[in-house]
Amino acid sequence: MKFTSVFTGAALVLAMIGGPALAEYPERTIESVLPSGAGPAMSVSQIIADAMGKELGVPLTVLATPGAGGIKAFQTALSKPADGYTIIDGYVAPLVLQPILGKADWSYGDFIPLHAAASNAFAIGWRTDETRWSSFEEMMAWGKANPGKLRYSSGQRNNLPHLVMAKALQSYDVVAQNVPYDSPPAANNDVKSGILDFTFVNVGSYKQDPDALKIGLVLSEQPAAKEAFGGAPSIADIDADLGISGLAPMGWDWWLVKKDTPPERVETLRAAMGKVMVDPDVRAKITRLGFVPLDWDHSDYDKIVSGVHDQLSTMADAIKWEEEALKAAK
Amino acid sequence: MLLDGLGLVTSFSTVTLVGAGLIVGLIVGALPGLGPLMGIILLLPYAITFPPVQAMGFLIAIYVGGSCGGAISAILLRIPGTPLAAATLFDGYPMAQKGRAADAIGIAIAASALGGVFGGLILILFSPSLAAFAAGFGPPEYAMLAITGLTSIAAVSGHSMLKGLIAGTAGLLLATAGTDEFTAAERFTFGLFELSNGFSIVAIVVGLFAISEMSHLLTGDDLLDRPKLSTARPGFGTVLLVLRRWPNLIRSSTIGACVGALPGAGGVISSFTAYAVAKTFSKSDERYGEGAEGGIVAAESANNATAGGALVPTLALGIPGDAATAVLIGALLILGVFPGPTLFEQHSDIVGGVFLVYMLANIALFVIGILVTPLFVHVLRLRKVVLIPTVLLMCAIGTYAVSSSIFDLWVMFAFGLVGLVLRAGGYPLAPLVIGVILGPLLENNVRRTLLLSHDGLSIFIERPVSATLLFINIALLLCVVFFTMRRLIAGRHSDLSQEDT
Repeated sequence: MKFTSVFTGAALVLAMIGGPALAEYPERTIESVLPSGAGPAMSVSQIIADAMGKELGVPLTVLATPGAGGIKAFQTALSKPADGYTIIDGYVAPLVLQPILGKADWSYGDFIPLHAAASNAFAIGWRTDETRWSSFEEMMAWGKANPGKLRYSSGQRNNLPHLVMAKALQSYDVVAQNVPYDSPPAANNDVKSGILDFTFVNVGSYKQDPDALKIGLVLSEQPAAKEAFGGAPSIADIDADLGISGLAPMGWDWWLVKKDTPPERVETLRAAMGKVMVDPDVRAKITRLGFVPLDWDHSDYDKIVSGVHDQLSTMADAIKWEEEALKAAK
Repeated sequence: MLLDGLGLVTSFSTVTLVGAGLIVGLIVGALPGLGPLMGIILLLPYAITFPPVQAMGFLIAIYVGGSCGGAISAILLRIPGTPLAAATLFDGYPMAQKGRAADAIGIAIAASALGGVFGGLILILFSPSLAAFAAGFGPPEYAMLAITGLTSIAAVSGHSMLKGLIAGTAGLLLATAGTDEFTAAERFTFGLFELSNGFSIVAIVVGLFAISEMSHLLTGDDLLDRPKLSTARPGFGTVLLVLRRWPNLIRSSTIGACVGALPGAGGVISSFTAYAVAKTFSKSDERYGEGAEGGIVAAESANNATAGGALVPTLALGIPGDAATAVLIGALLILGVFPGPTLFEQHSDIVGGVFLVYMLANIALFVIGILVTPLFVHVLRLRKVVLIPTVLLMCAIGTYAVSSSIFDLWVMFAFGLVGLVLRAGGYPLAPLVIGVILGPLLENNVRRTLLLSHDGLSIFIERPVSATLLFINIALLLCVVFFTMRRLIAGRHSDLSQEDT
């Protein structure tokens, strides 16, 4: 009787300890933690997740965790075990920007990259019947003549569009009031109704209704970004040097896992994502949403992300400058 | 446009998907903690394997069924399956306790279906004008609308206005926890990242209502007894009970559809506001809060009409009306369809198809809802010793599933205790929920308005809609003060006359 109990106990312990090690990975649902709510970015993640789930043979779900500039999503993902069942959708804001702003205590080097996912450009837009200016330079001239009077939205505060727009305004020495909105479409709506002067426009919003706002400046010098916004003027077309280039002023994400994830599981995920990102069907779906599928694999991570990190670091004082200049203007 | 879409809706697969979506919606709506949003998110990967109209039919049916399903647990167990159904329990639960559970559910389903159809008609007939109306709503108007919603606290506070106001204020204070949207500073998070978005609304609602109710049931001495409540099945005739209250139905559905058309406003405002208005206009023999049929009609028709209203900005402007429609937009984007004005020009068949599947879902809701209600009503026959752990398990699963957070489970249990204390002190629970939900809408829009106006308050009266809402709010507050004073004076007279005799 005693032997039976010991045997049963040992078998149970073995099953508990040895079971997961012997089982083939993956054997259950994998979660990808997305640092934003429903919207075009979630749609892109869903497209990649569905295709990866098919490759891996298990469902891969997207867990939308908006809030605190993406920090909550990262903290949620970091609180889970490093077992390959949690993927972090490493959007640039929580991955690079928030640590630069001192809002997060991790760095991009603390994660293991799987593959780059997609990028999307931003633009500045204003209402179509605007009479005070007809170009970005004219708007800057108006803003300089009326310090603190311009009101704009970058969506949430301290996010990438906020940094890039503050940097652009700082380059022209224009003091403007940032008004946070929890939903970019709500800000677009207030620009259209005249209560807000200009806003950031992501390519998804632009595609939904290209005539809703006049696109005054595409915040990227890359031709593909200009093309995504119907050929609107870009930072390559203006005289001023805003000090932003490459991926730095754009939204992009890199799928990541926690540092201690078993290497063989990392390889499984990398292989699946690598296949998915070259799948013409997946690429077509992502492109249709106005996003650009990225080709970089894990070996490019350090080089690409460190470049963006260095550039964003030099821009980091723009938001602080905006706050202080606004106080002085009042 | 509707004719264009007709061909896409009449296929067998579309009708089957709508039916399946409704059943899923009713189940996720009835389970505490889940709800239409969770149902839509869970089944999104499956839905996007179908063409746009079929996928939308499936997801919209979950949305419609889920908006109604919460009423079932509210009526049977005094637990709103979703925050949307919190206003339904005021009269639904007392009605069930009087042995009319099946009637109460039948009325809730019929009112939801009719309210939804009404919302659908508004969607079809007035989409462009409602979209224009919604486009004119900015931060000053949302701030005023939040205040309108808060005035409904007066209607749901029962006999103690003071206690209702205290609970509502506590809700507003709880809503301040989390990351401040305007300064990115953390407020009352105590260093816990789980609180960076504030308290989970689902954890609060489930805790306050479900955990406290189950704890309350535990204190009874009838845990092993089989309840003797009637479980008669509802008939299709319950629709007549609803149609008899047609002014209430039309008024509440209109409130629901209009509030739904405003992005971010949501079904909770519409159901509580419709309930408050219905109570104000009720006949003296209808005792709201004690099982009045009109209370269920108002709350349920409003929250399902909200779903129709929310599709207006979703389709016409590409702006999600609420979190669930944001996921619907995501599904459309994945399927290569961009909601917004161009959708009406380029894909009128899809727009017409979506309008028709929404109508179909509401009509089917009535039929399927009435047919499956007996399954739900059998819950009343369960012994409490079985019912209590089952409900607690479902609450835990539902609350955890929202964001896979153990912390939310602790929040749920903590608010269960808060609910017990509040009930013991005679404090109504609904005002706390109203405060928590409307707090961020009010605070953020007041602060946004002040930034936009460079700190000038005159913006609230310079904009016509904001000024109108301000006037309505003042009138509502004066009414509340007047009726409360009158009741107090009447009570004093009654006490004096009793002393005289």
